[in-house]
Amino acid sequence: MLANLQTITQDRITVASVINSPLLRLPLRQVNPAVALERYITDKSLHRPQLALAGYVGLFTYHRVQVFGNTEVNYLNSLAAKKRREAFRTIVQFEIPCIILTNNHKFDPELIQIASDHGIPIFVTPYETTRTMYVLAEFLDTQFAEQTVVHASFVDVYGIGIMFTGKSGIGKSEIALDLVERGHRLVADDVILLTKKRDDVLIGTGTKLVEHFIEVRGLGLIDVRQMFGVRAIRFQKRLEIVVELEQWDPNTQYNRTGLDPENIEVLGVPLAYIKLPILPGKNITVIAEVIALNYLLRLYGYDAAQVFAERLDAEIKRKSAAAAGLSSGERMFPHFHNDFE
Amino acid sequence: MIEYIVKIKNREGLHTRPAAMLVKITSKFKSDIFLSRGGFSVNAKSIIGVMTLAAEHNSELTVRLEGDDEAIALIEVLEFFESGFAA
Repeated sequence: MLANLQTITQDRITVASVINSPLLRLPLRQVNPAVALERYITDKSLHRPQLALAGYVGLFTYHRVQVFGNTEVNYLNSLAAKKRREAFRTIVQFEIPCIILTNNHKFDPELIQIASDHGIPIFVTPYETTRTMYVLAEFLDTQFAEQTVVHASFVDVYGIGIMFTGKSGIGKSEIALDLVERGHRLVADDVILLTKKRDDVLIGTGTKLVEHFIEVRGLGLIDVRQMFGVRAIRFQKRLEIVVELEQWDPNTQYNRTGLDPENIEVLGVPLAYIKLPILPGKNITVIAEVIALNYLLRLYGYDAAQVFAERLDAEIKRKSAAAAGLSSGERMFPHFHNDFE
Repeated sequence: MIEYIVKIKNREGLHTRPAAMLVKITSKFKSDIFLSRGGFSVNAKSIIGVMTLAAEHNSELTVRLEGDDEAIALIEVLEFFESGFAA
């Protein structure tokens, strides 16, 4: 189900779309506004062109956004005017998408002119270099993030993002509805957009068109937000557990102890994975809550399966030490004396 | 596994009613049936999935079928798209 997902990634974005994005929380002002912003950024990483300015362009990642901090600006300022132009020319001969000056640094008008001649936009920000790079890298990471769409139901259960997958008609939407009724929050149903962030996080969202509509077989479309209010929904949530629902199959081995939790990789991100057989009389909603709570316990350091296994080991050890075993008059079940209730 | 490209012939696009008709057709089959557009793929048995595509007049969708009855399913799906949802 979650193998061979079709993924979508942008491989390039224009400088203009970055600069004009309302999501970019970095104040930027273009120093040479005459230069068009049509160059493409093709890499989410940033680059500080220190060695390139010093003349070594062997591994110069010119296709990245070039960030000029104190080092670059002070280095250029330390050079004589002619040397400075030469140093700057070494890097602008490459197809650089744009240059960002941090700390409100002033740039030599001559250098600005050279950049303009090469069609390279220069921006200045009041933020210091570390903050600039952090904000911009985060933004570009999202822009270049891998995305995919899966057919599932996604609910926040006690703060844990659980995604239910399984064949069409197995009851994913009904479980989502049941969880909402019990006070949990619907992220989306049927069409889940997963976005990979920072290599190890998947964020699930619904689509703009569908938002919190769900289809209940026999009823049709229902708007969960209108019906249950804003506390019953959320717009995005980190995905942590995948629960695959399937008709109970007597030939499948289901996990019985929980000692070896299974994982599944989605877009290369490992997630907790539980294969849950559906049986008459089995309340999947309550089980989903227990899955979330057990996950939380494990996260906080208490692994029920592990604790039980240790208990059993200790008991077996104690008995073999006593050698005599049950013949010592000890009973398997404790007996409470004088308790006649 | 079969893949086939279909075109939306209806002027109003693949709107709610035809989406419901399509889902009724696809749900009859055991095969997994997907519709994709611009790299995003949705389950063709899910009404919300199909509607998410918001496929307009003349847009093209890729149908992907996988399963024992994929061939018969494809025929019915193609008939549906060919008819321009006139049924």
